[in-house]
Amino acid sequence: MMLDLELMLDLYRDMWLIRAFEFGLEREFKKGNVPGMLHTGVGQEATQAALAAHLKKTDCFFPDHRCHGLNALAEEKHSGAGRRIMAELFGKATGVSGGKGGSLHSANPAVGNFGDNAVEGSFMATVLGVALAWQMRREPRVACCIIGDGTVGRGEFHESLNMAAIWKLPVLYACVNNGYAISTPVGAAHASADIVDLARGYGFPCVQVDGNDIEMAYDAVRRAVEHIRAGNGPYFLEFKTWRWQGIFAGEFRPPEEVKYWKEDHDPLKLARQKLLDGGRTTATDLDRIEADVKAEIERWIEFALSSPPPDPAKATANVYVGWEVAAR
Amino acid sequence: MNAQAAAATSTPPAQTRTRTFVQALTEALDLAMERDPNVFLLGEDIGVMGGDFGVTRGLFQKYGAERVRDTPLSEAAIVGAAVGSAMVGMRPVAEIMFADFLGECYDQLVNNAAKMHYMFDGQFKAPIVVRTACGGGFGGGPHHSQSVEGWFLNVPGLVIVAPATPADAKGLLLASIENDNPILFLEHKALYRLKGDVPEGHYTTPLRQAAVRRKGRDVTIVAAMKMVHEALAAAEALVKDGIEAEVIDLRTLRPYDAGAVIDSVRKTGRAVAAVEAPKLGGLAAELSATIAEECFRDLKAPVVRVAGLDAPIPFSLVLEKYILPGKDDIVAGVQKAMANSA
Repeated sequence: MMLDLELMLDLYRDMWLIRAFEFGLEREFKKGNVPGMLHTGVGQEATQAALAAHLKKTDCFFPDHRCHGLNALAEEKHSGAGRRIMAELFGKATGVSGGKGGSLHSANPAVGNFGDNAVEGSFMATVLGVALAWQMRREPRVACCIIGDGTVGRGEFHESLNMAAIWKLPVLYACVNNGYAISTPVGAAHASADIVDLARGYGFPCVQVDGNDIEMAYDAVRRAVEHIRAGNGPYFLEFKTWRWQGIFAGEFRPPEEVKYWKEDHDPLKLARQKLLDGGRTTATDLDRIEADVKAEIERWIEFALSSPPPDPAKATANVYVGWEVAAR
Repeated sequence: MNAQAAAATSTPPAQTRTRTFVQALTEALDLAMERDPNVFLLGEDIGVMGGDFGVTRGLFQKYGAERVRDTPLSEAAIVGAAVGSAMVGMRPVAEIMFADFLGECYDQLVNNAAKMHYMFDGQFKAPIVVRTACGGGFGGGPHHSQSVEGWFLNVPGLVIVAPATPADAKGLLLASIENDNPILFLEHKALYRLKGDVPEGHYTTPLRQAAVRRKGRDVTIVAAMKMVHEALAAAEALVKDGIEAEVIDLRTLRPYDAGAVIDSVRKTGRAVAAVEAPKLGGLAAELSATIAEECFRDLKAPVVRVAGLDAPIPFSLVLEKYILPGKDDIVAGVQKAMANSA
């Protein structure tokens, strides 16, 4: 399968936006400009770009811990303000969640971003309700939850897939199987290292796809979204991919595995090669896309750095709807 | 607003009839569904069967399977589905059959529902009501009898509502469904068959407002749910000793009407906090601390806590009776406060 050139160039740009965002973020994190913890999505760009390409702003997605880039991409596509995701990660007042959410709770319903939940798997239950409401109101929207392989260990995995199946809910399960839950290999944590094997019993389509091949990922998401929008119920996609980030102590995976994923099967290198094959485009054009995106990310970082911190007096705003919290 | 004013606003506004607590709840659900198409119900066996305690009886037949939705035994998914639907404008009322099962959806309530509005800085609301049957006294055993408010008191963003009368059951449930915050609605099983005057038609009982159930000058008994009735019985028994107890029904347990409690204790100078749950970390502990902080100079005696013993609820009725507090314990608590008075 081959996507047309213009689309491929867009996706290539989107993937670079995700990577440049994460690289920039990592750099600022090391400098101490980004509080808290950081889980980056470098290596998983094709999966995220494919999802962003098909989800409309009237759909929703619940992003996982490694979706900063996807959040920024959705924000940029639909509101033109990807920089507000960066600002949120810096804990600034200009962030999408006003600095209250940070890396794991960046949301903006206007672009379909319903926010991550730091308790992995928690939103597998939440997504059911969004899908149920849309089904009850006969609105042909897609409610997507992006989960890692680790999340499959949670009880909500079963509760969610089962309820989505019996009620035929418009849920897209996007399982990003990057091989490890922090340090635990997928095969050691689950009865099958292929998550689709675990999902198939619920009776709706379950498809495994190379999450690093943008064309395959794009096409898989297209089919899934079409299926769901047509009212056929839930759909499960497992993206086989790999995260570049190690663990806190550093790289723990075998060198040959690292080499395979970073050099031989890097989603950006694969996409670049597809674009260069047969002279579809030139290296100069692709380098320009990359440079443009990197410059844009630097402007977002500058925006985040120069944004004001939240007003401490607002720390107790929005605890309740309509009620104030008592002063100390 | 103080408790007297609150009691005034809850005066039945219309024609009243005698109804059980369960019937009052059913009326509230029926009215809410009739008035707002976004209201729907979900839970285990709430459809054709009408719920384990009959609260949703007749609603499946009237509103159909889409709005009165039977679910699998999936408490996390039930509350999660409620939260998600509320995020996009629905008004779900979920039933968790026994409060003891809230552990299964604790994360959904504590980390999702309660924080949804806050952590995304007001971009989402989670106006859900989670109804659940709590409390002991009927041989339900360790997993069908607990008083769970203490599990949730420390959760900012969450509202806990706990009616004591049929009229309040209806008015508070309607107010809860119409409120934009996530609400844990506690229904004490011992009250389900309680009969009382219930106004016809739609009305709401204000949240966060206690009610003075009995006026008195000597001691304030603060309680909720079944313990309100134990407190009223205790107050009657104390009359022969010349003691006039004031009984406050908190009605909302979090955030609660501290003003009503403080006003009353400033007047009486003595306080007994009566709850069914164990003392440690519970509602009575919180009441006691607030009274000590706010009314220290008005107090004639230390605050007394009447609570369940620090034990699970056993099955045998004889054992259960030993663990749970009742009228006699409140009488003893009041007498202790009187005896310890400066």
